[in-house]
Amino acid sequence: MKLSRAIRSFALATALTTLSTSVWAEGVLRYATVGEPPSLDQQVITSDLTTTIAHHIFEGLYTFDASNAPVPLLASGETVSEDGKTIVISLRQGVKFHNGEEMTSADVLASLKRWGEFGSRGSLLFDHVESVEATGDYEITLNLKEPFGPWKNLMAFINGGPAIYPASVMDGATKEPISPDNYIGTGPYKFGSWDPNRKIELVRFDDYVSPEGEADGYGGKRVAEFDALNFLPVPDAGTRIAGLRAGDYDYAESIPGDLYAELDADENVTTILNGGPIFGLVFMNSKVGPLKENFALRRAIQSALNKTPALQVAIGPEGLWRANGSFAPEGNVWYSESGTENFSAGKTEEAKSAAAESGYNGEPIKFMVSTNYPFHYDTAIVYTKQLAQAGFNIDLQVYDWATLIEKRAQPDQWDMFFTHHGFVPDPILISVMNDTYPGWWATPEKQELKNRFTASSDEAERQEIWSEIQALIYEQVPTMKTGDVYTYNIASPKLQGMGEATLIWPSFWNVSK
Amino acid sequence: MSVLKLMPSALAGRKLATIGFLWLVLVLLAAVFAGVIAPFDPLELDPVNRLAEPGWPHLFGTDHFGRDTFSRALYGARMTVIIGVGSVVVALLSGGLIGMLSAYFTKLGHFLMRGVDVLMAFPALLMALVLITLLERSVANTIIVIGIVYATTTARILYGMTLKLKNEVFVDAAVCSGASHRSILFRHILPNLISPLLVQASFIFAFAQLQAAALDFLGLGLPPEVPSWGNMLSEERIYLTRAPWLLLYPGLLIILSVFSMNLVGDALRDNIDPRFKDDISGV
Amino acid sequence: MLAYTAKRLLTLIPTLLAASALVFLFVHLIPGDPASILLGDTATAEEVAQLTREMGLDQPLWVQYFVWLGNVLQGDLGTSVFFKTPVLSVIAAGAETSILLACMTMVWIVLIGVPIGVLSATMHGKWVDQVTSGGAMLAASIPTFWLGLYLIFIFSVGLGWFPSSGFPSLSDDGGLANLRYLVLPSLTLAAPNAALIIRLVRASMLDVAREDHVRTARAKGLHPANVAIKHVFRNALIAVAAAFGFTFAALISEAVVTETVFSLPGIGRLVVQSILRRDYPVIQGVILVIVVLYMVINLLVDLAYARLDPRVSLK
Repeated sequence: MKLSRAIRSFALATALTTLSTSVWAEGVLRYATVGEPPSLDQQVITSDLTTTIAHHIFEGLYTFDASNAPVPLLASGETVSEDGKTIVISLRQGVKFHNGEEMTSADVLASLKRWGEFGSRGSLLFDHVESVEATGDYEITLNLKEPFGPWKNLMAFINGGPAIYPASVMDGATKEPISPDNYIGTGPYKFGSWDPNRKIELVRFDDYVSPEGEADGYGGKRVAEFDALNFLPVPDAGTRIAGLRAGDYDYAESIPGDLYAELDADENVTTILNGGPIFGLVFMNSKVGPLKENFALRRAIQSALNKTPALQVAIGPEGLWRANGSFAPEGNVWYSESGTENFSAGKTEEAKSAAAESGYNGEPIKFMVSTNYPFHYDTAIVYTKQLAQAGFNIDLQVYDWATLIEKRAQPDQWDMFFTHHGFVPDPILISVMNDTYPGWWATPEKQELKNRFTASSDEAERQEIWSEIQALIYEQVPTMKTGDVYTYNIASPKLQGMGEATLIWPSFWNVSK
Repeated sequence: MSVLKLMPSALAGRKLATIGFLWLVLVLLAAVFAGVIAPFDPLELDPVNRLAEPGWPHLFGTDHFGRDTFSRALYGARMTVIIGVGSVVVALLSGGLIGMLSAYFTKLGHFLMRGVDVLMAFPALLMALVLITLLERSVANTIIVIGIVYATTTARILYGMTLKLKNEVFVDAAVCSGASHRSILFRHILPNLISPLLVQASFIFAFAQLQAAALDFLGLGLPPEVPSWGNMLSEERIYLTRAPWLLLYPGLLIILSVFSMNLVGDALRDNIDPRFKDDISGV
Repeated sequence: MLAYTAKRLLTLIPTLLAASALVFLFVHLIPGDPASILLGDTATAEEVAQLTREMGLDQPLWVQYFVWLGNVLQGDLGTSVFFKTPVLSVIAAGAETSILLACMTMVWIVLIGVPIGVLSATMHGKWVDQVTSGGAMLAASIPTFWLGLYLIFIFSVGLGWFPSSGFPSLSDDGGLANLRYLVLPSLTLAAPNAALIIRLVRASMLDVAREDHVRTARAKGLHPANVAIKHVFRNALIAVAAAFGFTFAALISEAVVTETVFSLPGIGRLVVQSILRRDYPVIQGVILVIVVLYMVINLLVDLAYARLDPRVSLK
């Protein structure tokens, strides 16, 4: 069969006119990714690329609408008891998995349990969970140890979150990602094939049962317009751009900021900004070394930095970055200015004397950065220059990402390291809130605030406490924020229904070409 | 024939090779005097004047850090010479020694050349990538990795040439007069190999530049903060349309230098002992 | 000849053992581990340790080596940490691209390299010879990624003649027409290698032309063009054939830069990506397969030499 197809197409190959037209049918979306995801197991993998692909396959009980508020997806609703400790979630009925079976509470229970024990962000919720039970075929009950405000946000955040798999797949599943033949979800697209190094193909799931209501963010109606979604790894940014311009891709992610003006003006290219900004973080070592518990020295380092030039160099055009010290972008419910006056002071001389007062006398400060992300490296270069001018002895260590991850797990190997953070709808998801995240910030002051923060479910009160936590971050400096970066992707103008901006990860239901 | 006399006679009547030689002299001068000539510090950041077009005072424009491309190109010449000479030294010292000793001491040679065979079977560039990741990016490691790649070919070539010389009359004469192994190897055999070695060196020098640039491009070569032509290309490659000069100048510099070195090597080869001509077919 | 072949095959064994040990050692000494890359930024040290245990990567290195070697001897190269599929099938997937790319590059080299080499040998010393030799050398002096970037810019983005990147399998929609995805990459790869072949064809033709039987033929009054084609070219082909064998083997692994520029799913890029994500079994598997490939080609070339050229005797 393959041979006959090959012979038929040979005639095609000889016709010069076909040389540059696409071989793919109109019903296929070709998405140029930055690489290949480690796995598509949503529960244990937090790679953004994983979510970009996998949230077409797997769904959670909740998701976010355009205003980043959690709305039901596989759930149909919930009731919370007076004391806030018992949550009864009802499930939508008639939802089909890709293997044809109907989703019931048994599947949800198995998925939540595996996520709670092994999922990347599972412990954030399950540390507060007494028990979870299936209390009906379409009903799940969550018994909390104490009231826990962010439970719904954690359920809705699909990245490393509680995606619902069939109970049979969850049987015996551990920390190790599930294998591709177990990629069975309830989403509008089902897993097709993973051709290593070449593409990941998702195909339309014809028995998809969509939630009702108008599409709003990730909520509401989902229609799979494409026959298939192809995710093609194109690690080189220049090749992604050239490929989209040449018509080989319909969509390309992670495009360098400096090319924004040029691409925006190009009528063959549509630029799509990501709504939630990402931000760089420079973590400091709280366990070992000169920065351990020396909060004054840390503050001196932060005050020596002027973060604007770094953003100019690393990102480029003004519209794509904001020198914002708040951990949430302006306009977001979590936005707060407390402590941010120290965000980007750029006071070289004051920093010098403050460092001397703190007892610093020129010992080397090991600063690790990876070259896998150009914006990390570019920013670190600028910071190193500025810190050197303020008299700090910075030993910049450049590694590839894999090496950096290994080294940062060893407290004696580093004093500062660079990473970045995606936009999250609830500050509890920010890595610095995690006591075991490298840097190991776990001071009593933090514990006290964090306990109050998670115990409350009153929005206004939580915002107030978060603002105190942010002030503490600027006082103890477990990490330095580098500013907000609005990344953008590019698409072919033929794509219909993309919307002006991406919420967090691009989604291709309700999109056609 | 002394090494110094080799160059003029090889270049005589070869216009292109002579131009190439002069270009290389220019690169060498730039490398030596980069600190004096360069109008700017190659590492000085200037975020306000980033991606400036070529003109005054930035002759080759500026990159996305606002660093002066002309100054970086001058310092890049220095890296070119360091990488080239370094790789040549590593390759000739290790490979050359193995090749000569193997041909001279047959039993040892059998063992050593088998080792060379093993190394030759490895896909050179892929092994270089593994090694660099293992050793971490640095100038010295880049030189070592490239040097090892060419050490194997050098060992093969030197092995063949030494074998030929070993049976010559003058070597027999030296053996009869009771000369030591060391004296035979380094006083009698080696001087005859100088000019073919020089040819081999020039080809290694040329190809080492391309290998280093390829490693830089893959993000596994020199540390990114080192101003080298390969790094300049690699770091600024997304600006192909936005700031074309950032790719044009370093690219042309690499091409001109590699081309020149090839021309000079080619001219030298035509001038060496005809017995060895076939042994060196480029790297 | 049979005895010789058997002997050569036997000597491959220690070489392969040494190669496998070297590869294994180097790959496992690389800092970083697959577990922490899989689990990403938010994983804790305990989680990473747990996954490392589950993957069997906490065993002593020599135990892992012998387990691996034992499996390799049974034809099992292990399972990719990332793709969760057998390494052999991951390599096979990349081999389609790599082999097709190498073949297509070979076609260019032959189409461009051989005629130019012949032309420049017959015009030995004339300006045509100088221009072509110089041009070949210039082509060999261009960094491949630089050339690739400009080819994409001109022929894909500008003129729209060829696709810019990627390569769908020949068994995908499009079939053989998909080969057009390899046109620009193969030209990029052919540029430096064509120069080597041009030089080789030219040199071996000049060498053969000096040999006795050719001089005799010329003395007998045969037309110079006839002599060139019948005697010189045929004999020169033997040397060139050998070079082709090695060029082909080299193309598979040296294509890594080209595959990166054009985002081709070949073996070279597979190794780069596998190094970045510490997929040990894949790196080891690919390098081992290439080593074997190189040795087999080496042997075949030697045997072919003996068949084609009666002057070569096998010891």
